[in-house]
Amino acid sequence: MRLVWTIAGAELRLMLRSRLALVGVVTLLLLSAIAAVTSAVQMAETAQARAQAQIETDEQFKAQPNRHPHRMVHYGTYALRPVGPLAAFDPGVDSFTGTVVFLEGHRQNSATFGAARESSDLLRFGQLTPAFVLQTLAPLLLIFLGFAGVARERERGSLRALAAHGASARSILGGKAMALGVVALLALAPALVALGWAAVRQPHEGGIALVIALAYAGYLAAWVLGIVAVSGIARTSQGALIALIAAWALIVVLVPRAAAGIAGVADPLPSRVDTELAIAADLRRIGDSHNANDPHFAAFKTKLLKQYGVTRTEDLPFNYRGALAQEGERITSQLFKDYAARADVIRQRQSGWLGWAGVLSPALSVRDASMVGAATDLTTHTAFMNAAEAYRFDLVQRLNGLQATAVSGTDDAARSKDPLADQRTRISADFWKTMPEFEFNAPSASARMTAMVPSLLLLGLWIALAFGVLGWAARRLERHGA
Amino acid sequence: MQVTDFTLAVENLVVDRGNRRIVDGLSLSLAPGEIYALLGGNGAGKSTTLFAILGFLPFSSGTLTVCGHDPRTKPDAVRASVAYLPENVALYDHLTARENVEYFLKVADCPRSRADIEQAFESVSLAATAWDQRAGRFSKGMRQKTAIALALLRQTPLLLLDEPTSGLDPAASADFHGLLEALSARGVSILMVTHDLLGAADTADRIGLIAGGRIADEWRAQESGPRFDLNILHDGFAGVK
Repeated sequence: MRLVWTIAGAELRLMLRSRLALVGVVTLLLLSAIAAVTSAVQMAETAQARAQAQIETDEQFKAQPNRHPHRMVHYGTYALRPVGPLAAFDPGVDSFTGTVVFLEGHRQNSATFGAARESSDLLRFGQLTPAFVLQTLAPLLLIFLGFAGVARERERGSLRALAAHGASARSILGGKAMALGVVALLALAPALVALGWAAVRQPHEGGIALVIALAYAGYLAAWVLGIVAVSGIARTSQGALIALIAAWALIVVLVPRAAAGIAGVADPLPSRVDTELAIAADLRRIGDSHNANDPHFAAFKTKLLKQYGVTRTEDLPFNYRGALAQEGERITSQLFKDYAARADVIRQRQSGWLGWAGVLSPALSVRDASMVGAATDLTTHTAFMNAAEAYRFDLVQRLNGLQATAVSGTDDAARSKDPLADQRTRISADFWKTMPEFEFNAPSASARMTAMVPSLLLLGLWIALAFGVLGWAARRLERHGA
Repeated sequence: MQVTDFTLAVENLVVDRGNRRIVDGLSLSLAPGEIYALLGGNGAGKSTTLFAILGFLPFSSGTLTVCGHDPRTKPDAVRASVAYLPENVALYDHLTARENVEYFLKVADCPRSRADIEQAFESVSLAATAWDQRAGRFSKGMRQKTAIALALLRQTPLLLLDEPTSGLDPAASADFHGLLEALSARGVSILMVTHDLLGAADTADRIGLIAGGRIADEWRAQESGPRFDLNILHDGFAGVK
């Protein structure tokens, strides 16, 4: 171990004295620090803006004057996805999936206002977040700093000189890896501070922040070990650089893109337009609540009349139109749920493809672990959409319930012709104040930690593989006399 | 003399690289304080012999010991007993002469004081102004001197030199040979692989001519008169080349 430290110290001294290496380290540190600070500031502003917008939209709903409940169904409200405490570290799919859903009767709207849609095209190339820096840029800079670590010594003959002075191949590679590991740790430091800060502000997120930090440490460790191993195996530093850049392009760019493409082709997700057309077709098939002769709603009416022992809807103890609206909403909502569930199944299968692609790319594994841990993954977004839909259904049914119980059926039937009847169907604004507010709680830290396990296991495999390759490189170096 | 009395004992050494036999039954031995010059043409197996002694290359058969240690079974003990000077001395350009020496001494787990290092620099005539200069600016001679200073500081019983005077000017070459004699007087055995016939004749106690991977001829320095017959050496060398 003494030798490992000695060689690591010399390598770090070389980095400090080499202008190019120093520029690389400083650039990496600056990028990491800038990403941590800007992302934290941006996310804090976004979190505040969304929380404020949610309060305002709730207040606007509650401030509506006396109205017919069905007008309120169409007035609708908004559900805004709250920003999790770790989203500043890794915004995940947040920029692409949208964060605001307009909730209204009869319709299930998509989330809108994704940052990628709102901002210039530059954002689509990747935001400068700590996660992006660590996943994409840090390995590249580690390659530039470490590709020549061993190969350069071989080219200059100092590898043999070290061996002649008693340094084993294992200690030489270990020392180089340790020096590069120190650089990786430096790159990780601002991100760790960002995660630590989030953990201090939300202590219940401390455990998961630590797991995320360990996942990134493991990811960078795998890169460090791989870079040193390739540098130890390659005949020249140029060969090492070419091999490592190719590996970076494959692992960080090509495999994730190709995996997403393959997943999309293997399990295509119907477009929003196709889904809406299909839902409309199903609705026509199931029934039209506005058509008195529709078989489903005719049967519904017959059942209600029989249940209450009356022959006319006017004799029901409640406003039939409200009950009809409730039944219509129940059917459409069930359809939305069914289609959402089918889409979920496809998305899960696509995620499965991407999960398996983690075998080919540790970048995918760490990205997945990071997004799951930060609660910015697709599963959390789906949970938000499901929560928004559940809230929408509950709100609309409460309003339909008010129409059934607080609005007279006779007035409701005459309101389009009789202004007084119309006036009477407008119920007190106090009712809107009794409506619950939208709340979304991301999956708990323990649930997210459990969901991270497969990605963490894959990362563990990559680290083991990198150790294996490094060990092989050391044996090869020993065999070939450095 | 017993085999264990020799600093270096090589008997019927065979080294193969791939399908090629580079060293084929080489035998030589060095007593403490002896300087042995190994002459031979390119590809004769000189450097391969050095690498086998250092344990960098495995050997197929024969015996080889350094201070009684076999490099196959005790490479660390062998490397602790040997200081090796390659043809192109590998110093770190970003480190000063002092830092280079300190680093390699640290790697060899051979701590020496600042005063010891400066004394070693003085003994190899490395100008004091160069001690704290980065090696990137050094001439070949300065690099050689730094490496010799390192070898002195390590105080190993065996010094292996690979073409030590190639690229040195005559004055530097003469200084270098003087240093070798001083080391020899301290009991350090020196095995020197070289093309420098005159330098070898000036310094070596024995000269071996390697051809076809084995010692083809060997001469011992005479105690009186010219140390070696240069004509015989030249003819022998020209014959194997």
